[in-house]
Amino acid sequence: MRNKLVSLSQATDLIKDNMLLAIGGNAMHRTPTLFSLALSKKPVKNLKVCGAAPGLATDIILANMQADTSYFGFSGLENEAGLSPGMRKGMEGEGKIKAIEGS
Amino acid sequence: MIHALRAGAYGIPFMPVGGMWGSDLIAIRPEFFQIMKSPFDGTETVVVNALVPDYAIIHVQEADIYGNCRILGPSYQDALMARAAKKTIITTERIVGSYRMQEEPKLTSIPHFLVEAVVELPGGAKPGICYPEYQAVEWDKHKAYQKAVKADELGKYADMMLEGRL
Repeated sequence: MRNKLVSLSQATDLIKDNMLLAIGGNAMHRTPTLFSLALSKKPVKNLKVCGAAPGLATDIILANMQADTSYFGFSGLENEAGLSPGMRKGMEGEGKIKAIEGS
Repeated sequence: MIHALRAGAYGIPFMPVGGMWGSDLIAIRPEFFQIMKSPFDGTETVVVNALVPDYAIIHVQEADIYGNCRILGPSYQDALMARAAKKTIITTERIVGSYRMQEEPKLTSIPHFLVEAVVELPGGAKPGICYPEYQAVEWDKHKAYQKAVKADELGKYADMMLEGRL
C-alpha cells in the first residue's frame, strides 16, 4: 500500500476532457460538492456523469456546463432543496446536455 | 442505472434488466437500452449497456492514507461505483489510522487497491448532509447556490465555498 494523500487541486487535475465520472452520494446526502466546485475552476469539458440518484455534486458540474451527457435514474435534490437547478439549466430549452435516463 | 454499473463492475458488456417493459426510454435511447432474445429459451429481455467510469468520485467519513474507506450511514451505490470505475478519487471527512480498518475489516466498503487519490476534506459534502458529521442542509449556502446558478455566478460561489481549501 502506498500513501495516496493529495491536495484537492491535485485530485481535480486527474480529470481530463471527455471522461465518464461516477459521482457518489444521493441528492443532498454525502455528495462530493467541494470536489465539484474545485473542478469548476479547471478548464475541463465534455465530461459524462453518471449515478443512480445524482444530487448536488453532479448538479454543480452540469450548472457549469462541463458535462455534455448525464446518465441518471432520478436527478434532483429532493424535499425542501427542490429541483436540480444546474440540470434544468443544462437540459431544458436548447438542451445542451444530453439526458440518458434509466431506472 | 445500477445494472449498467454492475455490468461495468463485473467486466461484461451489458446486463439484462427487469422492470423496463412499458417504458418509452427503451425506444428513445437505443445506445443504452436494447431488447434481445435469451439464448436459452428465446424469451425477450431488455438489456442495458455497461458503464465503466474513468473515475468514481466519492466522499466518505473515514479513510486511511492508503485509500481504505469506511462509509458510515447509508452507502447508496458508492461501493458499486468504485468497483465499476477504472479508479476512484476519495474525499474524506477525516484521515484515520489503518488500525480502524483492522478492527472491523467488514466495514471497509472501498478497499485501497480501487483508489488512486485521497483528499482530506472536512465538510466536503456541504452545504449538503454527511451523516453523522453534519445532519442538516446549510440552507443559506444552498439558497446562495440556487441563486448563483440562475445568475451565472457559480465562480463567485465556488470561491466562497473553497476559500483556503484548494
